Amino acid sequence: MKRRIFLVAASSFAMAVSFGAMAADPIKVGFPMILSGPGALFGEPALKGAQMYVEEVNAKGGVLGRKIQLISRDTKGNADEAVRVVRELILREDVNFIVGTLTSAEGPAVSPIAKENKIVFVAPITKTDQLTAPANLHPYVFRSASTTTIEGRTAAEIVAKWPVTRVATISPDYAYGQDVTKAFVEHLKKIKPGVEIVDQQWPKLGEADYTPFINAQLAKRPEAVFSSLWGGHFVTFAKQAKPLNYFQAINNNFIGAGEAASIESTKSMGADYPVGIWGNSYDVFDWPDGPQSHKDYIARLKKFTNEEHPSSWPITGYIAMQFLTAAIAKAGSIDSDKVSAAMKDISVDTPLGKMTMRAKDHQANHGQFWGKTKRDPKYPFAVIENVTRIDPAPFMD
Amino acid sequence: MPEPAFLFGQFVGGLTAAMFLFMIAAGLSLIFGVLRILNFAHGSFYMFGAYLAWQFMRWLGPGTEYFWLAAIGAATGVAMIGVAIERLLLCRLYRREELYQLLFTYGFVLILADIAKIVWGTQQLSVSRPPSLSGSFEILGTTVPHYNLFIILLGPSIALALWLLMHRTGVGRLIRAAVLDREMLGALGANVGGLYTIMFGVGSFLAGLGGALVTPVKSIVPGMDVEVIVEVFIIVVIGGLGSLWGTFLGAFVFGQVLAFGILIMPRFSIFSVFALMAIILIWRPWGLLGRPLSR
Repeated sequence: MKRRIFLVAASSFAMAVSFGAMAADPIKVGFPMILSGPGALFGEPALKGAQMYVEEVNAKGGVLGRKIQLISRDTKGNADEAVRVVRELILREDVNFIVGTLTSAEGPAVSPIAKENKIVFVAPITKTDQLTAPANLHPYVFRSASTTTIEGRTAAEIVAKWPVTRVATISPDYAYGQDVTKAFVEHLKKIKPGVEIVDQQWPKLGEADYTPFINAQLAKRPEAVFSSLWGGHFVTFAKQAKPLNYFQAINNNFIGAGEAASIESTKSMGADYPVGIWGNSYDVFDWPDGPQSHKDYIARLKKFTNEEHPSSWPITGYIAMQFLTAAIAKAGSIDSDKVSAAMKDISVDTPLGKMTMRAKDHQANHGQFWGKTKRDPKYPFAVIENVTRIDPAPFMD
Repeated sequence: MPEPAFLFGQFVGGLTAAMFLFMIAAGLSLIFGVLRILNFAHGSFYMFGAYLAWQFMRWLGPGTEYFWLAAIGAATGVAMIGVAIERLLLCRLYRREELYQLLFTYGFVLILADIAKIVWGTQQLSVSRPPSLSGSFEILGTTVPHYNLFIILLGPSIALALWLLMHRTGVGRLIRAAVLDREMLGALGANVGGLYTIMFGVGSFLAGLGGALVTPVKSIVPGMDVEVIVEVFIIVVIGGLGSLWGTFLGAFVFGQVLAFGILIMPRFSIFSVFALMAIILIWRPWGLLGRPLSR
């Protein structure tokens, strides 16, 4: 008798322990991101943003009573490597969700793996329209990032207001550069039919010497230029273009997509930055007209990263994790199909304002920061003046 | 027909790019010519030149013409790294097969890339042009920055200096002798090992100098090592491995083909360079001014 009681007690204790362990088991989120090579400059802060959000959620007890655990992996900026680490995250680490990838090559490569394994995948940065185009859409892929369509069309809205008719483009010759340039050109021609595209230059991605392209473009005498050279490519281009009086020749009527006005670019160029041009950025640490939630977010970010002028990239990882966590809470489960259903039309209060994940194309209405760059005596680098945040809603279809 | 001013602008642009690449390619070609080692890590030396120049600028502060000090300091620093690698490690491999030497230098590409990432991180860095050369000329209706003109003049000066070193000095005579028959030279009592170290140092210095001088016109990022080594290989293949004037000619052709290629095939200018390399490899596998290898 005593023995039976002991057995019952022992087994119920064991059950309690295992239930307890189950409840305390963290929800695992795989985070494939570029963490080495040139792309790590952007991948690392994106991961920081996700980590900060996870820390905030876990401090409040997590979601569904469970903590979130981020497991990051280095994709090395390579689509094949991204696929490999995502497979490993799913099969060996047993992750429940995938949030991550950076380039427009990585995102579309990882999406079929998510479909095959029925794992919800949220893309925080990949902008190519291909990712959620009807042919590639499936129940498990979602994008919290902006798109090449939104980026190109909002740039066209700005250029349409300039007193110019001869417009040129210079973009890296690969998926992202082609997609965003096409969106810009088509939308500009639609809203301002008098515009003439006088020149289009397509240097290869990672071109070391832009001088021949700059000369060829100036020879066509454009009045304004759209560019999608990003990161270090923009820095190299601008350093070569400035002494050739390129920006002067077009009266600073230059608009740089690909985050040409991000703090990463303005900081690294310092006094060499072609101040006066227009550009975009994922985030600006000084947004006077922004909501209070953004100011709070920046204050927390400064503390989290120990940077006085924080990077513009953490917001990408932060918002993606917000969407995922909100969908898990709404679904009340970590089941992929339930979370996928909950993700549709879900709204999230991000630091940039309210965003909604559209049901029809799994695309968040993530807008764009645009603005003209200026010198501000407060900072040793150029900043965006009159930050304009453009609502993407009219430009998404 | 495009305007003459524009064509001149393309020519000058191509020439500037060519002289940058010549500086780096000359070092690679020189090392191969004497040591018979194809140094994959040459691009890494170039990258270290760029990072070290940035680092020296940081240490020196915002002085007006400190850029020159930084450039010389960076090139010297890279030369010292090169000499250390040659003296401590590479010299043990001279008697091994070429494959081992290639693998060794390739290993250093990976090691040096990781060291650069640990020391300087992944951020893109930038150095400003020195104030003395920050202006520009108007030549034939084309804007030519002073700095570009300086590079265009520096290229031939380096070529001439190397030629004088090889053909008008005692060391140069020994080096040429080492190229022809290193065993014989050793048997005659010359210090062949010391010669090799000097040449490896000079080659590394040129790579470091190229990296330092390129910083005012390019951003310093991880990956610039691999990017440049591909271009430099193309140049030495076109011109002839081990030939100084061949390298000069190869760099010139490379720059001009890229500059004018975009007029003919705007999206495939890099293709024209590879096509040129393929034709030359079939027609003259030893390059335009190179000599067939005889051993």
